[in-house]
Amino acid sequence: MVDYLYDGTFEGLLTCIYHNYYSEPADGIYEKDRYQFSMLSRCCEICCDEKKAGRVYRAIREKISDDDLKRIYKIFASSSEKRENIILEYIKLGFIKGHSVSLMHGDPAVFAAQSAEQKVNAEIHRFKGLLRFSALANQVLYSRVEPDSDILEFLAPHFCSRFSGEAFMIHDVSRSKALISSSGCWYISDFFQKEVPLLAENEKDFRSLWKNYFDTAAISQRTNPRCQKRFMPVRYWKHLTEMQTGSGVL
Amino acid sequence: MDEMYRKLKILADSAKFDVSCSSSGSGRRNSGRMGNAVMPGCCHSWSSDGRCISLLKVLYTNKCIYDCEYCINRRSADTERASFEPEELAKLTMEFYRRNYIEGLFLSSAVEISPDHTSERMLHALRILRYDHGFSGYIHAKVIPGTSPEIIHSLGLEADRLSVNAELPARESLSILAPQKTPQGIFSPMKQITNTLIERRALKGPGTMFRGEDINTERSYLPEGEKHDAFAGGSVPDDFTAGMIRERSLMPPLQAESVVPAAGKKFAPAGQTTQMIIGADQSSDRQIIKVSERIYRTFKVKRVYYSAYIPVVRSPLLPDLSVAPPLAREHRLYQADWLLRFYGFSADELFDDSHPDLDPDLDPKVSWALRNLDLFPVEVNQADMGTLLRVPGIGTISALRIIRQRRVSAVCADDLKKMGVVLKRARHFITCSGIYSGEKHFMPEMIKEHMLDADGGMQLSFFGQKTRMIDG
Repeated sequence: MVDYLYDGTFEGLLTCIYHNYYSEPADGIYEKDRYQFSMLSRCCEICCDEKKAGRVYRAIREKISDDDLKRIYKIFASSSEKRENIILEYIKLGFIKGHSVSLMHGDPAVFAAQSAEQKVNAEIHRFKGLLRFSALANQVLYSRVEPDSDILEFLAPHFCSRFSGEAFMIHDVSRSKALISSSGCWYISDFFQKEVPLLAENEKDFRSLWKNYFDTAAISQRTNPRCQKRFMPVRYWKHLTEMQTGSGVL
Repeated sequence: MDEMYRKLKILADSAKFDVSCSSSGSGRRNSGRMGNAVMPGCCHSWSSDGRCISLLKVLYTNKCIYDCEYCINRRSADTERASFEPEELAKLTMEFYRRNYIEGLFLSSAVEISPDHTSERMLHALRILRYDHGFSGYIHAKVIPGTSPEIIHSLGLEADRLSVNAELPARESLSILAPQKTPQGIFSPMKQITNTLIERRALKGPGTMFRGEDINTERSYLPEGEKHDAFAGGSVPDDFTAGMIRERSLMPPLQAESVVPAAGKKFAPAGQTTQMIIGADQSSDRQIIKVSERIYRTFKVKRVYYSAYIPVVRSPLLPDLSVAPPLAREHRLYQADWLLRFYGFSADELFDDSHPDLDPDLDPKVSWALRNLDLFPVEVNQADMGTLLRVPGIGTISALRIIRQRRVSAVCADDLKKMGVVLKRARHFITCSGIYSGEKHFMPEMIKEHMLDADGGMQLSFFGQKTRMIDG
């Protein structure tokens, strides 16, 4: 048994899974930069190999199912430290059970995979609502987000079809990357800008109108901040226009 | 901008007591300019009362000719008044929408001059938004009782969802508290909307109440000339009692253009909803749920909303200003409502003759199960979907998972928790492969005591049950 280390890409992870079957069974799979070396375990660094990854990719589609491949890809986007091993266990069981693996809700491997996927799905859904754009002076819409999972790619179809006539940018500040879209097409790129670009003239007005609306919409006799925080966790407030004091920061 | 600030404050403040904020049920596509609607809906923020903000909820105007006792905008109230101009409302909606603050617009209004006058102006504003600004986001429009059918129809062609407020759960309360509104005025637009949806074969019905049944047929059609009044007592006009009238052909023959509407325009694709104020009159929970059930069975609206009455007006006819809004009662009513729409319960099952109100200590499903202990425990590896759904602690998702897993392997006790079953309730009512692990003394009082102990006195799960994100 050996710990496989990979480069942090999805293909790299699939290559490790290839080696689990064709070289030596894996004890665990870890991202190279995050791995904690220890006296007790042996590790082996795996170079990403597209051919090997492709074989695993196709095998998952054919022997498990298309939906499970999508599930695995979503789990990979999650922030869980155990994501690689959740995926490994799920695939191992999947190759034995075939497509019925997703029906085995009670199995620990399936439960872990489903919970991890659900977390990512919930955050994708949440950010469709909790993301705020600011209009910039050049009419581009700009948004800063810090989601737990790496979800930019999953947000793209939603915002592209909704704002098909707009140019916009969603900047994942913690991962230093951005989703950039114009007239319905999009790509994701590294992005390092620290400061908020120049705002459109009326931007501050609409921010304060929105904040005004937000405060007015609450019924004082029903105040329930616990409930509010449950749906809208405090860690997201940083980039929410309505939760800012003053009209300054984005 | 200052004027806009003032208007928005007044007209949002007046609209905030409207409960519905849901943006689900419509899959309107982007027309090439701005916006779309997503089927499950989307919440954009949560205000400090914990209610979601999905739509920009405003009144078109708060100038009112009516004098409803409970309303802050009634004619005799001394309150600041304002009205939007159609263009400025459209502009505000667009600017909020493109910043992703909102999912769309919820437009209601007080009645200025006449229902038709007001509705026409609302229609005008919606048309500017849809056509001049190319907005394809979600629109919920309030229908004012007394508006002529032609205008209601036109509103439906622009809006994703329509709603007519039932206001109160009884005819008598309505005549005392909202003297200018009549059951006839409320239920005829509701009927019109239902019939239009049936003609277009687009009626979906509440929850899973009519699953597997085609409700877009003459059987559901509500014929002209007959009174359809959900306040009226007597038996529920469900499929069995109304079977006779349906033999006759009452529905106008479907014409080509009514099946494929002109220019492909949909009529209220997300259906209609309604709402009632709870606690402003003396109606019992049983009366309220019965009225809801009639509304669901007759008009097949998507949802009935309940709004705990918040005393904002001093009146001898209403609870005193110091009375706290009945939030716990509202919560229980919603639970009962869910049982009607998703769990196959009927209103009569939820009450017995000695208890006209829901038990404040226990959720309505547990109360029902304790009254019907002879049906329990059920074996999770054998029970069908309908039976599983009636077990306290098992919801629609966990029931589905149990059924799914049974296709490949037996469900064991350890699996249940992973499937989302709330064991502290469910364990008293199930066996798992023949093993029972609930209260030893299988008696209602003992189980009740046990559950209350486990919950520290009162079983009020504001958060225990998964709140569905899709419906606000």
